[in-house]
Amino acid sequence: MVKRRELTIFFLLFILGLFLAYTYSDILRAKENIFDRIEKHKIEQISFVLKNLQEDIYKNNQIATKNDLVSFFEEKKNREKYEHILSMMLSSDVKYSYVLYKDDENKFRFLLDASKTDKANFNQKFDIDLKEYNLAYATKEPQTVKQKNVENIYITYIYPIISNGAVIGLFNIDFTTEIKSIILESIKPLEAFFTILTIFIFIFMGITLVQIFHYFITKKKIFTDPLTNTFNRNYLEEIGHVIDLKNYSIAMLDLDKFKVINDTYGHKAGDYVLSHVSTIFKKSIRDSDILIRYGGEEFLLLINNRDSEKLKMTICERIRANVAKENFSYDGDDIKVTLSIGIHKHPSLEKNLQEAIKIADKMLYEAKRSGRNRVVVYDEKLNSHSSSSSSSKYLSFVKEALAEDRVTCHYQPIYSHHTGEIFKYEALVRIISKDGKVIMPMSFMPQIKLTNVHYKLTQRVLSTVFDKFKDNQKLVSININFSDLIHPDIEDSIVKALKSNHNLASRVTFEILESDEIENIELFKQKIHLLHSLKAKVSIDDFGSGYSNFKSVIDIEANFLKIDGSLIKNIDINSKDFKVVKSIVHFAAQSNMQTIAEFVHSKEVYEKLLLLDIDYMQGYYISKPEPHLVLKEELFKTVS
Amino acid sequence: MKIFFLSIFLALFLFSNENKETIQVEILENIFKNISLGKKIVIWSDNKKLLHEFDNKAHFSTTQKCHMASIIVLEDKKNLKEDFCDKAIFVLNYELLKEIPKSFGSMFWKKGRPNIVIIESRTKEQNISVSNQLDMYLEEKIW
Repeated sequence: MVKRRELTIFFLLFILGLFLAYTYSDILRAKENIFDRIEKHKIEQISFVLKNLQEDIYKNNQIATKNDLVSFFEEKKNREKYEHILSMMLSSDVKYSYVLYKDDENKFRFLLDASKTDKANFNQKFDIDLKEYNLAYATKEPQTVKQKNVENIYITYIYPIISNGAVIGLFNIDFTTEIKSIILESIKPLEAFFTILTIFIFIFMGITLVQIFHYFITKKKIFTDPLTNTFNRNYLEEIGHVIDLKNYSIAMLDLDKFKVINDTYGHKAGDYVLSHVSTIFKKSIRDSDILIRYGGEEFLLLINNRDSEKLKMTICERIRANVAKENFSYDGDDIKVTLSIGIHKHPSLEKNLQEAIKIADKMLYEAKRSGRNRVVVYDEKLNSHSSSSSSSKYLSFVKEALAEDRVTCHYQPIYSHHTGEIFKYEALVRIISKDGKVIMPMSFMPQIKLTNVHYKLTQRVLSTVFDKFKDNQKLVSININFSDLIHPDIEDSIVKALKSNHNLASRVTFEILESDEIENIELFKQKIHLLHSLKAKVSIDDFGSGYSNFKSVIDIEANFLKIDGSLIKNIDINSKDFKVVKSIVHFAAQSNMQTIAEFVHSKEVYEKLLLLDIDYMQGYYISKPEPHLVLKEELFKTVS
Repeated sequence: MKIFFLSIFLALFLFSNENKETIQVEILENIFKNISLGKKIVIWSDNKKLLHEFDNKAHFSTTQKCHMASIIVLEDKKNLKEDFCDKAIFVLNYELLKEIPKSFGSMFWKKGRPNIVIIESRTKEQNISVSNQLDMYLEEKIW
């Protein structure tokens, strides 16, 4: 993770910066320490000499007062003698050595000056106003003055000449900065190195901070859906591995008939509704809950379990009620929106988050099927489902494909050997993977059966096919599950599309799986009747593979019987299959239904079927499904 | 007095990083502000850098022609001319006070510290009034 890496680098740089700052200050301290030690050493030496000199002056010359001292040094020979002694202190470290006294007007004056240069005259005034001079008088203690590098003097040592308990003069020793300069010069490269290193570290810290800042900005963009300002699926992937499902319940929220809003009022109105609905969601949930835009009009809500079980229902009911009572006004139109919610209260019982989402999605499907605008909660006791994590993976895969518009249809011609023409095309769903591969429906369809995703996929297929065939005169077959057919939203889509285009309705055949679990045969008949009333045709798909209730097939008055591929593919070598197919063809003829044979994959199969007088045939021998509508000239060329 | 003294040392501190002429001019200005020649102070100096610094400060007028000046700031005795007779002379070396009897004061560096000496008797002779701010620099004689 970039964030972790950058933060680690920043932390390491910070530690290194602190270490360098500490080392640098340590060097400075060491430098001062060296100066102090040198000073101390020098001063100790000088102090010893001055003490002896002081004793020599007043003991050997009977000097008791300041006036005695001035009088004594008025004599040139006396001055020369002691200036000579003082001059012995002069070295490369000691620049000036002299004796001062304070006159009656508190002016300091020279008594002796042993300096080789800049020598002062006897009694010449010396303007100094440093407190240490007066302090030496007051305390009778030696003083050290750190100069501000005046004429390369950095320390002045003041040593009081005391007689009879009073200070009568001051020895002054000025130390040069020579040693200090040498030390400073010698450590200059080290200081420069540390300075440059510190600058670089601060630059790197700055760059790292900018990168971290940029990361958080980018992260916000990556994890936020710009329309609804909620988290998006990227965020779900980010937290999916770390989230503790014990702390959450899962709810899938889906706007009812959102497609109708888009179709009726336009996509801008749809976006407006989505944006406002998400605002209602956010107002209805707590800070600890996580709202994610999962798909187009589908949201995932992770409800924190910190409160009672009842509250989870309350939150979902509150969201549903708040959306239902809201009047969305857009461009002068009042739009009413309802919401269906599926809840899984204990997602931690599932193998993983995706599995739990799948169950919540099934509950959402139930909510939709039960009439929409309601909340359906998963009951673990009643539902002993078995599902695999791989199916959850495909659920997510299909949802993503829907969201990214990677769902498409290929079309396989159904051939009439009587006329030698293409009778119609069968629309077959395909998903284009992110790397551009065409994914066949058997890879994902079984896993998403009876989920909300399945009906969304069906809706997308219907929409795609209706759109492609609305303006041409070709016939098309669309596969549809019974469970999808009885779904209110799908029914609405079909009715709306076919009622508005009768020409299209008459060219559409709905292929319904004979093997599909049709629990309510009366409801099934009603739906087939509805399709007939719209002038659409009905085909029983995969006939011969299921429980083959001949009476039901006759009752629903299907137009076509599509014989299951398992009976066709070996018909040239399997005499039993040949007999079964022959019976089906006979039954169809008696029941006024036309027959279609699928899985015609070879010339042998094709020729065998000709003997049975099958009405229509489809299969790779005739033509593979293609993204475009295959022309007659292209038939019988894909398989030699 | 104390304030004057402090201001000189403050100037010394503040301008410790500047060149010697700048500090020198700061001190000289403080001195000249506290003396009265009975006429406008117009400075001439044989130290052209110093004169240039005076120009930069702009507190006092300067001149390139010594006969136009009212006060001469002299660094080198060899630059002493006869027409200085009627001018007040302030020297930049203590020893010059001895060598030029007409000079009334000196500002010089002694052991790295700025020093000021004003000879009281000479100021009186030349009718140069000195503010009591400069009392601590007044000397009766040259040592």
